[in-house]
Amino acid sequence: MSVSTKTINRTSSVNQFFRRFVKNNGAIVIFVIIFGFALLFVKNFASAQNMLIIIKQSAVPVIACIGMTMVLMTGGIDLSFGYNIGFTSIVAGLLIKTMGAPVWLGILAALTAGAAIGLGNGILVDKVNVPAFITTLGTGYIVLGAAQIVSKGNTINKLPKNFLAVGQTPVGVFNTTILIAIAVAVIFYIILQRSTYGRALSAFGYNKRASFVSGVATSKIHISVYVISGFMAAMTGILLTIRVNCAQPDLGGGDYTFQIITAAIIGGASLFGGKGTIVGSVFGVLIIKVIENCINLAGVQYFLFQAVLGIVILFAIVFESIKNKKL
Amino acid sequence: MEFIIKKKSILLVGIAAIALLIAGSFIPYFYSANNLLNIIRQSSVVAICAVGVTMVIIVLGIDLSVGGIISFSAMVCGTLMKSGTNIFICILAGAAVGLAFGLFNGVMVAKLGVPPFITTLVVGQVAAGLALVLSNGGSIGGFPESYVFLGNGSFLGMPVSNYIMFVFVALGSLFMAKTKMGNRIYALGGNEMVVKQEGINTKKIKIIVYGISGLCAACGGILLSAQLDTVHPIQGEPYLLDTNAACVIGGVSLMGGEGKIYLAFVGAMVIGLVRNALNMLGMHPFYQNVIIGAIIIIVVAVSVWNKNKNIKESKTF
Amino acid sequence: MEKEGQELNETILKMQGITKFIFDSEGIALKNTNVKILENINFDLRRGEVHVLVGENGAGKSTLMKILGGIIPPDEGEIIIDGAPAVFKSAKESKAAGIGFIHQELNLCQNIDIAHNMFLGNEIVKNGVLNMKEMYKRSRELLMSVGFDVNPKTIVRNLSTAQQQLIEIAKAISCNSSIFIMDEPTASLSQNEINILFKLIKEMKSKGISIIYISHRFEELLQIGDRITVLRDGKNSGNMNVSEFNYDELVNMMVGRTLGKMHVCTHVPQETEILRVENLKISKRTLPLSITVKKGEIVGLGGLVGSGRTELAQSIYGARQFPSGDIFYMGSKIRKPSPRSSVQKGIAYLSEDRKLDGLVMEMDICKNVTLTYLDRFFKKKIIFKSRETGIAQKQIDDLHIMCRSMYQLVNTLSGGNQQKVVLAKWISEMPVLLILDEPTRGIDINAKAEIYRLMDKLASQGVAILMISSEMPELIGMSDRIYVMCAGSISDEINKSEGFTQERILQGTLK
Repeated sequence: MSVSTKTINRTSSVNQFFRRFVKNNGAIVIFVIIFGFALLFVKNFASAQNMLIIIKQSAVPVIACIGMTMVLMTGGIDLSFGYNIGFTSIVAGLLIKTMGAPVWLGILAALTAGAAIGLGNGILVDKVNVPAFITTLGTGYIVLGAAQIVSKGNTINKLPKNFLAVGQTPVGVFNTTILIAIAVAVIFYIILQRSTYGRALSAFGYNKRASFVSGVATSKIHISVYVISGFMAAMTGILLTIRVNCAQPDLGGGDYTFQIITAAIIGGASLFGGKGTIVGSVFGVLIIKVIENCINLAGVQYFLFQAVLGIVILFAIVFESIKNKKL
Repeated sequence: MEFIIKKKSILLVGIAAIALLIAGSFIPYFYSANNLLNIIRQSSVVAICAVGVTMVIIVLGIDLSVGGIISFSAMVCGTLMKSGTNIFICILAGAAVGLAFGLFNGVMVAKLGVPPFITTLVVGQVAAGLALVLSNGGSIGGFPESYVFLGNGSFLGMPVSNYIMFVFVALGSLFMAKTKMGNRIYALGGNEMVVKQEGINTKKIKIIVYGISGLCAACGGILLSAQLDTVHPIQGEPYLLDTNAACVIGGVSLMGGEGKIYLAFVGAMVIGLVRNALNMLGMHPFYQNVIIGAIIIIVVAVSVWNKNKNIKESKTF
Repeated sequence: MEKEGQELNETILKMQGITKFIFDSEGIALKNTNVKILENINFDLRRGEVHVLVGENGAGKSTLMKILGGIIPPDEGEIIIDGAPAVFKSAKESKAAGIGFIHQELNLCQNIDIAHNMFLGNEIVKNGVLNMKEMYKRSRELLMSVGFDVNPKTIVRNLSTAQQQLIEIAKAISCNSSIFIMDEPTASLSQNEINILFKLIKEMKSKGISIIYISHRFEELLQIGDRITVLRDGKNSGNMNVSEFNYDELVNMMVGRTLGKMHVCTHVPQETEILRVENLKISKRTLPLSITVKKGEIVGLGGLVGSGRTELAQSIYGARQFPSGDIFYMGSKIRKPSPRSSVQKGIAYLSEDRKLDGLVMEMDICKNVTLTYLDRFFKKKIIFKSRETGIAQKQIDDLHIMCRSMYQLVNTLSGGNQQKVVLAKWISEMPVLLILDEPTRGIDINAKAEIYRLMDKLASQGVAILMISSEMPELIGMSDRIYVMCAGSISDEINKSEGFTQERILQGTLK
């Protein structure tokens, strides 16, 4: 009986590589197509200035999308994400402006608040076994209400310059926000692709039971993704607050959550758990932002964008499901 | 289950009674016939939507598209009315739109196997987006008198709205309890394998159930626009939470197979009551949402806990 | 009691030459294997008889019945009912032909009442709505006819297993079933309930209904059976009339086979105790059991499917909770068993169902192999590709896993190779205690032999092995000591020195 070998037939290796690339990086392919389309048909699209705008607008959603992607990988969802953004925005604003606390304290508090909300979600989903969509729907409304209560319905404007500097300090043509987004993406790329945690997360997403029996710390992983999502929501909240120079309880919101979910799914996060990549998240966001950019440039109404977004994700879902069935 | 249902409905009635008492002691005129009928009128949209969502939850699904369908169906109906079309046709068109969205949900879930929460979430957003597109971002209003009468008029001392709602609840309850399809829907939620073995087409049943839910949401939305004499493109949003809360409070189990429409109706009334009382006490709707969100989580958590306990005890070993 | 008429001994069902190759979850025969689950089975049934079908685990009884029940198709052979050939493409078609299958797992919807269950699919309708009155009336009549006096409005969930079984029988009778298949009907019944069931069976017989009765309990088949057919290793092994019952002959038909020579045994068990289980109850209702496993020893755990062996293994490993008992590992008590802590201590558990909880089907060989000991291989939490591929390649080479590359997804491998990947995962770091649950189920001869060789090698390196097996030759050939389980507790313990016999093991499973 011959023993196994690992060398692949040379001539089909290029073919296989190409097929694999498309399968695993569908988002890049879609992005290239849409980008190409925009270059050719949309006026004023192809300018360095416009590219910069797109990059600037994509930075923060990338951070958010990474958090949501990780939750989707476990087969769950975080519907409280957008409301978490508003809550952490208020926390930061209150501490830094209203109470005059040092910037680092305000940021730390906001991040902790976001992570705590995530922890609450995680425990309810993993230990109490409440389905994720109900849990996060419920906590979402609770957090929304809490944001309103804490802020008394008011927004906090004119934030201190040293706080704004965290996100708005220029770095070459970019700014610190973009750098932070890149750093987050790189760090999580390493975590998901190369760390034992990332591997365990992937296995968990594909087959929770098998991971459990194989000795993977499934509870810890399950709860951790919600904590990370909450933390990312907090980062999003802080950076968005800096961008608009205003802490508001309704920052983010349900629409934002939905945009992030759309980006994650277009980016290839599987509806059924398991698959999800940083590259996918990044390109998912880019795709959406390019579409948004085109709609703006073309002078089309914003809500048309929302409708288009919905239809795009519908296609993505149908496509993903058909692929899944064929397996 | 008879026992459990009896227990649940007693519990529910108990909660409703306590809530009524508490509210009544703090709020003047709370018990006036006017106010109570008004509460029912305001809860009727939720109640109608709950008829459909109950069925969906029974077959182990969920419908998060309720909000979007309310907005879009009402927008379709309203737009047609403003262009002078016959009221009946407008209402029919709106209802048909809701039905179509619902059927689409059903096909996605049953044939493609997409998880219900994603499907209905997305479809709901698409519907909401389409409502905005249709109205160009604005609202429409000023509908014909006969239409507004449906939402605000009275007949024999009770708001017409309430009659409409009762018809839905009654039809829904009778459908589930007394028809072949109703039996099969419950059976599906209880043990899908068994139903399949009888040669029954379970996919068809699921598609129909989601279709009904879309239809109910559409009718709820149309009624709402009649009550407010307005269609605002995001007017359906708050109803997602309340409808699901009504079902959950009404004892519809997220584990599937269980739930009575008339109890979801009671759940809708309880929510309406709570909101009305809190409004009169000056609590902002946002804060109310906190309470309702918390209630949903607690009720579901408790029912999941119970079910897991029962499963552990009944395994052979 | 002889009935008048020519029909009494008429053969109403014939299954001829039934062959079935190993199949996937849809019943479709897997290509490129020659493993036969059933080979050339002949079975016939006469009107009004209770024909008992007997055989060990894996003998093929349930597969044969699944074919008759229309759940899976036969690969060769035919079914003849009342003289005419019958082909079933679905369970529904089998039912329509008059076959009522009473499964072991109850087939009712627990959340609705009896009447609604009985008429599911055939609801009685008047003017478009359910005729509840008629449904309750007819249900009651049907239930009375099987001797069950109960309110048809009762929700099924509130009934006992025995009662639900009666409902299923009543339901099948209402569908005019003339052939019943009863799969281990008395498995969870009390003696009283068994008597009621037997009374019902006798009545059904007198009405001309024929029953295929699957059971292991000899006392029962003497009470209720007319004829016995024995299957062994997927083949006919003999027939017997109950009136001429001979215990030894029956046992011989069930297990009398020449044991193969592929089992290797070069290891010698040591004296140190690795595992000691004391007075453990796998559930509240079972008796406490105690077992031990020594270093370098292979302990076999035999018993029927459902006797609690997997539950015991999972309790030891920590994948399942148990009401009482103590587990001592390497001398110290395990306080809160969990898979994660077990792995960290050096306990490995190869589960029964590799597709469900053994492998992550969507990942490749390499990732599956390194999954369990990931933290140990990469203490700094970062995975280094070269190290990982080295580990995976070593396992692929050592276990002769046949694959194109280690990046092949495991769901494209054959059963035997999949099992090897699971094994590789558990032994990529040498465990101290290795629990194997049906390690060679459904895999080809060559892979089996390799796994036996591997087990022997591990044991000679000091690994303590607890092996659950339903295959007699495997149990006898590989074990140093055998525990036999029955109904959740240990019924026998046999040392190799006493001599393993199939008869003694079989007896232990039947108590």
